[in-house]
Amino acid sequence: MIIDVHAHWGPWFFTMDVAGSTLATMDRYGIDRAIVSATEAVTYDAPAGNRVLAAYLETQDRLLGYVTVNPRRLREAEADLRAYLPGGRFVGVKIHTDYTGSPAGSARLREALTLVAGTGRPALVHTWGASVLDLAEVCLDIPGLRVIAGHMGADGFRHAIEAADACDRLYLEPCWSHAPAGRIAEVVAGVDPARLLFGTDATLIDPASAFGAVAAAGLPRETAERIAWRNATALFRL
Amino acid sequence: MTGMPIEDGPEKQGCATPFDAWRLVGELEVTLDVDALLGAYPDRDGPPGTSQAVLETLAAHRVRAAAVAHLRAALFDTRTGNDEMLALAACPGIVPVGAVDLRDPIGAARELERLASAGARAVRLFPDEQGVDAAFPSVRHVALRAARLGLVVLTGGDVRRFWQPFTGIEARVVFLDTHFYHLGDFLVAAADEPGFHTSTRLLNSPDALETVAAELGADRLLYGSRAPHYEPLVPLLRLATSGLGPAEIAAVAGGNATRLLAATPRRSAR
Repeated sequence: MIIDVHAHWGPWFFTMDVAGSTLATMDRYGIDRAIVSATEAVTYDAPAGNRVLAAYLETQDRLLGYVTVNPRRLREAEADLRAYLPGGRFVGVKIHTDYTGSPAGSARLREALTLVAGTGRPALVHTWGASVLDLAEVCLDIPGLRVIAGHMGADGFRHAIEAADACDRLYLEPCWSHAPAGRIAEVVAGVDPARLLFGTDATLIDPASAFGAVAAAGLPRETAERIAWRNATALFRL
Repeated sequence: MTGMPIEDGPEKQGCATPFDAWRLVGELEVTLDVDALLGAYPDRDGPPGTSQAVLETLAAHRVRAAAVAHLRAALFDTRTGNDEMLALAACPGIVPVGAVDLRDPIGAARELERLASAGARAVRLFPDEQGVDAAFPSVRHVALRAARLGLVVLTGGDVRRFWQPFTGIEARVVFLDTHFYHLGDFLVAAADEPGFHTSTRLLNSPDALETVAAELGADRLLYGSRAPHYEPLVPLLRLATSGLGPAEIAAVAGGNATRLLAATPRRSAR
């Protein structure tokens, strides 16, 4: 069993044609379930993307959804959280700090995450470099909030170890298009195994990147299963 | 909640973990990896890159041979670094690749001549590590000299910029850092340049390899790992699970690189 906690559904603007390949991509790597955000919602119009994703999620049972929130549009965000989270097909909230111009240390992200905390659902937040430390600080300040540091800081993975140590409601998922040697093993050695998740960034990135990097770490089965699905099941109450 | 049940997978019955990459890789082997390095980066943590350790890393990933350059040549002293590399020519599994320093175009031209006369088939450029922009005169100078000497150039750097110094000179180039974000730029540049090739290392979107094969042909793709500083398993897994046919996969896994370098490695690593 593998649950991908960082996946997408919809087209991308790069030279690629993957809008219809979410399930086929999962199948290549034995990924059973994925929690997806709509690419339209992440990169352009959150309410429009959430709406089309909601309709798509009704057509199959392997995907669950993130309600994407733009911290610049909190009124729309509040409406979407109210509309989609109670139905059960959406199980978390996605916030991309770059596409919305809302850095991890910004007041507007803090407001958005405060809103999310009130829903009781986890938030997947894009992190890169040292921004994961800012996310930990925000999370510490907002009671009850649980956040997943998307990409676990990418090249800032050592900051992610520090962030996870600082905040016990901060989780890490590893996806990145680069795979420097030993990155996963170092994070696993330094972080509470209950707070490690598996994410791929598919269909932007092929799961080979995260799957191969985790496989290369040669983890014991118990740790691998925690990362693959057990921790996600607990976090999202699946 | 609706949806399929969450339960243990088949790995529970055996000893495999959910991340059993080798099951997906199957029998695939790499006969020639176009991107491996000896030595260490002084500005980052990472493997020391001794020849023994690099060979062990390659063998552990079923990489039978690799085109290897030395970071000593790239970062400190071209001549001694290249000499150390060339001395490994008899080492099974190593195809030595020279390096030049783009910060010294005069010395780089001299070193290209020396490498060519020593029988090197390829030269590697490290523009990022050396802080060199594609528009610097040095890069065009080295590109022209390498093309005249018949040397294949393996180059790092952003393909959207580094394609330009190699145009119109019948250069044979492998872009080692082509990211799938920039795939469209590589495709349009390479369409007019039959000598342009790309490493697969960062072509890890769900359809990048397949798109290159469809647009240009799989003969433009070369497996590259950057072992031991990157995980060789990632591009191996991506290639193994690609939609390319068996002959195309074998070509990407080393046939293309062997043809391009026009010299089959003398002995395998195992």
